[in-house]
Amino acid sequence: MTKTPTDDDIVRLARQAGLDLPDEFMAELIDAYGHVRQMTERLSAVRPHGDEPAHVFVASAFLPGKD
Amino acid sequence: MVSELAFLTIAQASRLIAKRELSPVELTEACLRRIEMLDNQLDSFVTVTAGRAQAEAKAAEAAIMASGPLSRLHGIPYCLKDIFETAGIRTTAMSKQLADNVPARDSHCQEKLAAAGGVLLGKNATWEFAHGGPSWDVLFPPARNPWDRTCSPAGSSSGSAAAVAAGFAPATLGSDTGGSIRSPAAACGVAGLKPTYGLVSRRGVLPNCFSQDHAGPLAWTTEDVAVLLQTIAGHDPEDPGSADVAIPDYAAALTGNVKGLVIGVPTTWLEKEAPPSAATMAAFEAALDVFRGLGASVRPVTLPPIEQFDDAKKIIAISELFTIHAADLRKRPELFGASLRYRIIAGGLVRAEDYIQAMRLRTELARSLQAVLSTVDLLMLPTSEPAGKLEPVLPSSLFTRPSLTAAFNVGGNPALSVCSGFDARGLPFSLQIVGRLFDEPTVLRAGDAYEKAMPWRDKRPVL
Repeated sequence: MTKTPTDDDIVRLARQAGLDLPDEFMAELIDAYGHVRQMTERLSAVRPHGDEPAHVFVASAFLPGKD
Repeated sequence: MVSELAFLTIAQASRLIAKRELSPVELTEACLRRIEMLDNQLDSFVTVTAGRAQAEAKAAEAAIMASGPLSRLHGIPYCLKDIFETAGIRTTAMSKQLADNVPARDSHCQEKLAAAGGVLLGKNATWEFAHGGPSWDVLFPPARNPWDRTCSPAGSSSGSAAAVAAGFAPATLGSDTGGSIRSPAAACGVAGLKPTYGLVSRRGVLPNCFSQDHAGPLAWTTEDVAVLLQTIAGHDPEDPGSADVAIPDYAAALTGNVKGLVIGVPTTWLEKEAPPSAATMAAFEAALDVFRGLGASVRPVTLPPIEQFDDAKKIIAISELFTIHAADLRKRPELFGASLRYRIIAGGLVRAEDYIQAMRLRTELARSLQAVLSTVDLLMLPTSEPAGKLEPVLPSSLFTRPSLTAAFNVGGNPALSVCSGFDARGLPFSLQIVGRLFDEPTVLRAGDAYEKAMPWRDKRPVL
């Protein structure tokens, strides 16, 4: 597991994400992020380079006449 | 008489309308009167389009008298979760962010229902943007459960399920990103189907999570769900996720015969990872016995850990949700209800790497799920526990409580919830029936056969 961010780290990350929130809402974000981080840590398994995600660009969907 | 008419199923009403023994005007007026008299107990509607419904019903009656019904929905009243865009009718998603939102164009589903001759009664309460709730700090109060008004109808298609159970409308549409059709259907004792991803167009349905949103029907019976699905299923080039597949005759699939079907039960989930209560498991075992009695066989199956489905689902969802609402979260976060804001705001801190990893895990899980379903015809499990009290819940519960429904949004599989009895308080139990991709006919056949074998459809809530 990577180093657990402090509340100050989370505030900095939030501001980098454009979230300059009032204290009340920043506290919500810090609490919620604790839950989200537990999930992202569990997702951090090493996968093969070619392991495709569930979304891919389907060129045929953009052929003329498809829309 | 009002109640008798309002409690007609779509199948019953359409037969009477076709024989010209029931007027769409009479049926619509019966629904509108029940809504007017009783919805102050349930808050299942946020907008009632009475004048429009009366006009549509009169037009339907004239057309049917002249040349017969266009479809089984001709002259049938219906409503829509308030995230389906309706031209000229306010569509709010229960959010102060959209308090004045009046779309210029109908959603694809509304176009289909209108073209079939349905009669729009109005828009149903939802959790805010189909995700945060129940909430008391959004545009309208939360809907209540008609079986017990102190209880929750679950979410997010809360008002849709409550309205059908209460006899306000025989038909409605909801949306389901992690269980939002099936859970309210379960809590309110109605039938609700999350179709296969891409079978029903999402165009004009306010998005929750693009890659896991499903629009689908709720009605009193599975037979009625099949009628609605027949109307709304089909390819739509304006929905990038829409599937170009042949649409079968869903009503023809309702043979009542489930003999020989093989039913898989994810025992590890139910015994270890997310065990339901003893009462819920007893109701579930009783439902399985009904299927055994009808000639199906039941066997245990092993699915990937439920936590993996939840992790993939929630990281994907929170990332997409944040992106959808980012501008409003930055500029006017106070206009969101606290529940929704809590549930999406941390999405701004999810890294691209985490999102892609979740999407990679989704691929793996979807393949595993389809592999298990290649060995059985259906999966069955409870949809959820019977309804609890309608009261504020910790918004963090979304992250901490395992879900028996979200896995099938990850996999995209069709999943139906039907009523499977009542608990000691008189609140409905639920059975979830999950099928192979695009195999709605088998899912509906099983749900319909079960409903017809049991007496649960004979009991309605009393308001």
